[in-house]
Amino acid sequence: MNAFRQPNFLALALRRGNFLLGGVLAGLVALLALVSLAWTPHSAYELDIANKLNPPSPTHWLGTDHFGRDVASMIMVGARNSLLVGFVAVGTGLAVGVFLGLWASARRGWVEELIMRFSDFAFAFPAILSAIMITAILGPGAVNSILAIGIFNVPVFARVTRGSANAIWAREFVLAARAAGKGHARITLEHVLPNILGVVVVQATIFFAIAILAEAALSYLGLGTQPPHPSWGRMLNEAQTFLHLSPHLVLFPGLAVVISVLGFNMLGDGLRDLLDPRLSRTRLAGYPR
Amino acid sequence: MSMLEVDRLTVAFPAPAGPERAVRDVSFELERGETLGIVGESGCGKSMTALALMGLLPEGTDTQGGITLNGRDLRTLDEEAMCRVRGNAIAMVFQEPMTSLNPVRAIGKQVVEPLMLHLGLDRGQAKVETLSLLERVGLVDPRRFYAAYPHQLSGGQRQRAMIAMALSCRPEVLIADEPTTALDVTVQGQILDLIRDAVGESRMSLILISHDLGVIAETVDRVIVMYGGAVVEQGPTWDVFTRLAHPYTRGLFAAMPRLGEGRRRLRTIPGTVPELADLPTGCTFADRCSLARETCHSQPPDMRPVGESHSAACLRLDAATATPSFGSRR
Repeated sequence: MNAFRQPNFLALALRRGNFLLGGVLAGLVALLALVSLAWTPHSAYELDIANKLNPPSPTHWLGTDHFGRDVASMIMVGARNSLLVGFVAVGTGLAVGVFLGLWASARRGWVEELIMRFSDFAFAFPAILSAIMITAILGPGAVNSILAIGIFNVPVFARVTRGSANAIWAREFVLAARAAGKGHARITLEHVLPNILGVVVVQATIFFAIAILAEAALSYLGLGTQPPHPSWGRMLNEAQTFLHLSPHLVLFPGLAVVISVLGFNMLGDGLRDLLDPRLSRTRLAGYPR
Repeated sequence: MSMLEVDRLTVAFPAPAGPERAVRDVSFELERGETLGIVGESGCGKSMTALALMGLLPEGTDTQGGITLNGRDLRTLDEEAMCRVRGNAIAMVFQEPMTSLNPVRAIGKQVVEPLMLHLGLDRGQAKVETLSLLERVGLVDPRRFYAAYPHQLSGGQRQRAMIAMALSCRPEVLIADEPTTALDVTVQGQILDLIRDAVGESRMSLILISHDLGVIAETVDRVIVMYGGAVVEQGPTWDVFTRLAHPYTRGLFAAMPRLGEGRRRLRTIPGTVPELADLPTGCTFADRCSLARETCHSQPPDMRPVGESHSAACLRLDAATATPSFGSRR
């Protein structure tokens, strides 16, 4: 007798184009960041004024900047920086925001009201403005910019979590779970969270991309990663002076931002499809209904 | 003392037009091993009565009256204590098997959970117990169903899984709220047999809620007929269905389509159920009743005996039982 065929995650993953491409692009960025820990073609910090503003060549694959630093190496080290910001900022948003959202949804009443009004308050300021405010108070720097982006992510995740959790709480299987004697905490963990996981994961990957963008923007404004540490945003800022002279200085860090943002967005899209077990439309043939 | 005693249960929802009393002064008793049917049309308060018994009414609902299980008043229990009662002493099977299982968890896991929660079994023991439960509810080759997700099962199979969940902790009372309404007729019979056998085997008490008189007649010892949130007739199933004391019960019977009567319009009860926020002072059925007199509109009827442990709430019982057939033809 044939059994219910449970889908093979890997086989399904390989069949989804957006997941595959997103995975390759995001993986590429991650690989660059990892390799940069051990090896870069040249030093990302060493100045070589004699070879400044060189176009791409066999020795300097992506050329050199106005101080003669190797652009390829700077992009690799910058990837490390961008990914770190993404992980910490999204991690903060996930840990605090999802918890608050689930709590608001399970408790309702004044708890929900308080958490949601607090996030409305946070939303009243444009993201980049609140990030500038936070870095203005705490001072510019890599850690503070991560913190600023992370704080902005908390209400984002709280709101998305609470919205989708409320929809799950209204479902009949939650009533059935309550009728089976489960308490609010248990229902949240066993029924609500697994059902909203897809939404949260998609949100996380998309906000990972947004965090990378935000870090680039803050560094572009001079509020993020400080010199001499390379960052894609600051590379773009410095490159605009030489836009006509050496367009490759804008092109490569810009491409790095585009590739990572695109990669994480597509990964999020593909992941949402994969996490839904209803996708595997397998039924048992020949069994009396 | 009976195992389950419900004493003048009243459930009211706050509404702009004043509280809507969905259940009014419902009282009944249930002995161990007894099966009770609650019958009535949509919106008569059947499901609200069931949810009130489980303590699962939405927040803000005003509940009055007593619900006593084995001498313990469930109304006084806090949420934590109530969680230990639900699924353990009282279990419930819902109407829609399609939506009452969690779509992202395997069937087995969902049956295992109450076992671990209430009986304190470890995962291994609970799995063994779950496999035998799945087999018992007719899901042959239980290992396959253990790992299956709800969307891979048919409606009947899902309802069997729900019943396995409800039976898992050997509850003293099983509440089945329209358990077969969403299923087709052939599956309906199998599910009813399953519930009946399970109840019979373990001396469980059953409250079966249905709008289907056939289902009720086949399954339960005693029946309560509800209308507009109140009990209008109650008694042993056979007595109620042969005597048809209350005009509303008669109307329900007359509205049942029968084979062999040729093609004709179905009989209906004229009018609609009363607005809960604006109930008439007299009998709630008076506006739809062809036997209604002046007094019916002004004086609320109380339950009067019409036979041994059989009673009905109607001021015109004599006239009702004297009329051979009831219901209007449109």
